[in-house]
This record gives sequence, C-alpha cells and structure tokens, in this order.
Amino acid sequence: MNGGNRPSVIKTDGITKYFGTTTAAENISITVNEGEIYGFLGLNGAGKTTLIRILLGMIKAQSGRVHLLGAPLNKRFKRWNEIGYLVETPYAYPNLSVRENLEVYYKLRQLNQPQLVADIIQKLKLNKYEHTKAKVLSLGNQQRLGLAKALMHHPKLLILDEPINGLDPEGIVEVRELLKELAANGTTIFLSSHILGEISKIATRIGIVHNGQLIKELTTKELDDQLIRKLMVKTTDNFQAKNLLAKAGYNIYLNERQEIEISDTKAIHFPEMISKMLVEAGYPPKQVFLFTEDLEHYFLRTIRSNPS
Amino acid sequence: MKRQWLAIQAEFLKIRHSSIVWVSFIAFALAPLMGAIFILIAQHPEAMAQTGALAAKAEIMNFGSNWTSYLNILTQAIGVGGVLIFGFVSSWIFGREYSEGTAKDLLSLAVSRTKIINAKFIVYMIWCLTLAISNLLVGFLLGSILQLPPLEMGSLAPLLIYYLITTLLTIIIGTPIAFFAIWGKGYLPPLGFVALTLVLAQIIAAIGYGTYFPWSIPGLYSGAGGEYKELLNYLSYTILVGTGLVGYIATVRFWEKADQSN
Repeated sequence: MNGGNRPSVIKTDGITKYFGTTTAAENISITVNEGEIYGFLGLNGAGKTTLIRILLGMIKAQSGRVHLLGAPLNKRFKRWNEIGYLVETPYAYPNLSVRENLEVYYKLRQLNQPQLVADIIQKLKLNKYEHTKAKVLSLGNQQRLGLAKALMHHPKLLILDEPINGLDPEGIVEVRELLKELAANGTTIFLSSHILGEISKIATRIGIVHNGQLIKELTTKELDDQLIRKLMVKTTDNFQAKNLLAKAGYNIYLNERQEIEISDTKAIHFPEMISKMLVEAGYPPKQVFLFTEDLEHYFLRTIRSNPS
Repeated sequence: MKRQWLAIQAEFLKIRHSSIVWVSFIAFALAPLMGAIFILIAQHPEAMAQTGALAAKAEIMNFGSNWTSYLNILTQAIGVGGVLIFGFVSSWIFGREYSEGTAKDLLSLAVSRTKIINAKFIVYMIWCLTLAISNLLVGFLLGSILQLPPLEMGSLAPLLIYYLITTLLTIIIGTPIAFFAIWGKGYLPPLGFVALTLVLAQIIAAIGYGTYFPWSIPGLYSGAGGEYKELLNYLSYTILVGTGLVGYIATVRFWEKADQSN
C-alpha cells in the first residue's frame, strides 16, 4: 500500500463532509504517492466529486486535513500551478475558440512560455479545431479541451473527474496512453471514473468509495489476487463429469446453465489436467473456459458486502 | 500587480466575441437617440406636434434645442437607465461563470480568487465607463448633426462633471448585483434584484425617501427627480458609497469562503 521511498503527493487524513443531513464524505484517509495513478471508484453520489472538490479547495471539509505536494491545503497554499484538474463536465467559454479558451487559462495561470498553448493543442490533437468556437465542439472535443486546460502547464499532480466521458474509442485509447506516459514521467494522477474497466487498465491503485466512506483500497496486484477466477467446463455429459471431478477431489458446482464451475487453484492453473481426465473418462469437454471476474463484478460485490 | 494585470487581460479575453457587449452599447445608445428626437421636437414644434406623447413629454421637461438640455437628458439616462444597463453588465460578468459552467475552473489557480473578482470589477467599471463615454460621443455627433448652438467651455465643463459623477454613482451601486450573481450562481438572481431595485427606487422616491435609498440616489443626482436633487446630503452619499463597499466586500468574501459545489 505504501509507495516505497516515493513522497506522498496527496494525503488526506479523516476527511468528513456533510451537506445538511447527507454524508458526502466520512473519515476518508488516502495517500497517493508520486508517479501513481490512483483510481477512485464509486457509484453516482458516492462522494467522489466531493472529495475531488475538497482536494482542490473548492469546498471545505467539516473535519480532516489535506496535504498536496507535501504542503498543507489552506489559504496560504501557493502551489496551484503544479496541479492540473478537470472536475465533472468540462465547460469552456462558448464564444471563444479552442485557442482563446486556452489563452484565458494561460493568463490566469500566469505562465510565460507562449509555446505551451500550441504544444497542448498539438498533444490533444485539437489542431483542426484551434479556431473553432467552443460552443460548436462535439462532447469528445470539449473533453479534450478540458484535458488541455488541465495539462497545459505540465502539472506534477493531475486530478481528473471522469476524464474519458464523451470520448470515442480512439480518444479513450489516446487519453489512456497519454496518462500512462505522464505517470511514467513522474506525474501523479488521481482520477475518478464510473467506467471501471478503464480504471483497471491504467490505475496502479484503486480506492472504492460508497456512501461517503472509503470501503476498500488496494493495489492492482492485490485487486488481481482478489478477483474471483473459476474454470467453466461443459462436456457431453455434465452430470457424470461433475461426479467424476468431485470424486477426484475438485470443488465442483453445477450452475443454472448446467456448466461445471471449478474454483480450485490447481484446476485454474492446470486446466489441461481437467481436459485430460475428462477425455480419458469418456466425457470429452466441449468448453474449458477460465472465467475471471471483471472490475464491475468485483466493485458490485464489494459495495454489496458493505451495506453502510 | 503583474498577476492582477494578467487576470484583467484574461477577463477582457473572455468578453471578446460576446454579442452582449454590442447589445449593451446599442441598447444604451437609445438614450442619445431619444434626446435627439426631443431636440427635433423643440426645433420644429409645429411639424412634430403629431408625435403627441413625445412632444408632451418634451414640453413637460422644458426641453430646449440646446446642449444643456441634451447633456441633462444624457445624464438622467445614466442615473436612471444606467441602474438597469450597468446592473445587466454586472449580472453578466459575474453570473456567466455559473451559467456557462466555468466557475469551478477559476477556483484553484495561481492567481488568487480575490484578484479574479477584482479583475471582474475592473472590467465592469471600464465597460460601464465606456458605455457612458460612448453615449456622450453619440450625443455629440447627433447634436452636431442637429446643429445645436455652440456651448462655451465654461458652461460645458460643469455639465460633463455632473455626467461623470452620475456615472460613478451608478457604477458604485452595481457592486451588490455582483454578490447576487455569485450567491445565486447565475444571471437570473441578479437580474431579479436589478428589477426589484428599479421598482423600489421609483416607489421610495415617490413617497419622498429616495434621498436615502441607494438605488434612487444616482437618478435624483442626475436631475431626473427635479428639485429632489437639492435634498441629497452627505448621508445620502454615505449610504450609496457604503452600499457599494458592502456589495464589493460581500462579493469577495463569498467567492473566497463559500463552498463552490456547482
């Protein structure tokens, strides 16, 4: 769970926030180390955006502390130019072009390298739309513009709320590769998404939030270990095959589709032994398939086991 | 100072290509145009008698075909109409960030939140001053076309000073509208507030307490209330400046301190 010798870039300690009687965040403590991609998962209304807004100083927690880049987040915090962010739907000034929108943030971020605007337009493949007004951009290109605003100044920390919303498949792959490249170069990335499969492809660590509580936090390796795996077998005679495998000491379950499910580690690692045994016994397999639980299943299983 | 200057530049960039800028100038230019019509009525009373209500209005106002009458009507347009137009400008500059969804992008930046709000107030002031100057220029153009008799510099200067002071008083009273834009997160709450102040300004001025109601004071100072202008006193101006200050401070404090969850 710790990042070895890497310094923590985000550290929250007991963050709690209520909106009236609604608990938006309850005692959330997380640490994200330099170069990590931290995926923050949760259903709508689970508290993801609330935590992101707290991290960005947009709303104040009732209790708890936040440190960003090693400095406490308070009114004297001065390191905003080392942070890039995208919160919820990316909006832009509708009557300004892509370039003009970026120039607004270039000035507000007090930057002094004019090339940065052209570079980020190039990087996010917005060249074709450079002089197009933001109000006529497609949702995907508005998302690219939002990412361009977040990335223009080469931040050390990126906080992204649903960064691939609205992107087409090609855009999703491009953004995924871009984020991986940034992380490889030392940028720390904190991102929330409801597209869980996408998170599993890029995150090095995952936090699951439910009803304002962080109910699980684990590395990609730990997640991999916790995913349910089973061998799904169909033969010419599933009932007899089931008895055969049970006698051989395998843990067997015949599911509602009359498939044999074998959850033994030995069977998962050596499915060819199962095939051989069935062939020799006269029940040749029609299907031997290694099922691995996807992140969606794991996520739902996790939150259902936490009724809070 | 450099940071503040860059924030101002960003604000000016934001209003580029916004049709609302030209709409405000065109709408406000109706005032000198209306004044020009009154001049025509005064210059050609027989021919313009058919204009009925307008001719009657010009007569009531004792409107003459001269620069003094014309500049007075422009001043009154600032003191009364300016509350509406400047309020509209303030509502748009401050409310657009919420209506366009960009407010959240202004909160965690190298430039402080106060500097962003100050930049908006500076743009508001410059925009309103430009509106006032524009009306003056349109007025000079129309007055010249209508061949108003030349005015001596000694007579022109006090009229221009009244015009400028009325403009400043009207600008000052627009700051609470910025607060309502940020508090209400959009255009509609401040525009509702502007409408309310206009109605109240009329009612309160009509019952004789306009000298103490901040949104009536620019109108009274401009001469729109006739002899009521003489009733304005130090307390009146203190109330007006105090309201402007409270509006400014409330806007800055709310923008800095309140949860920004939209």
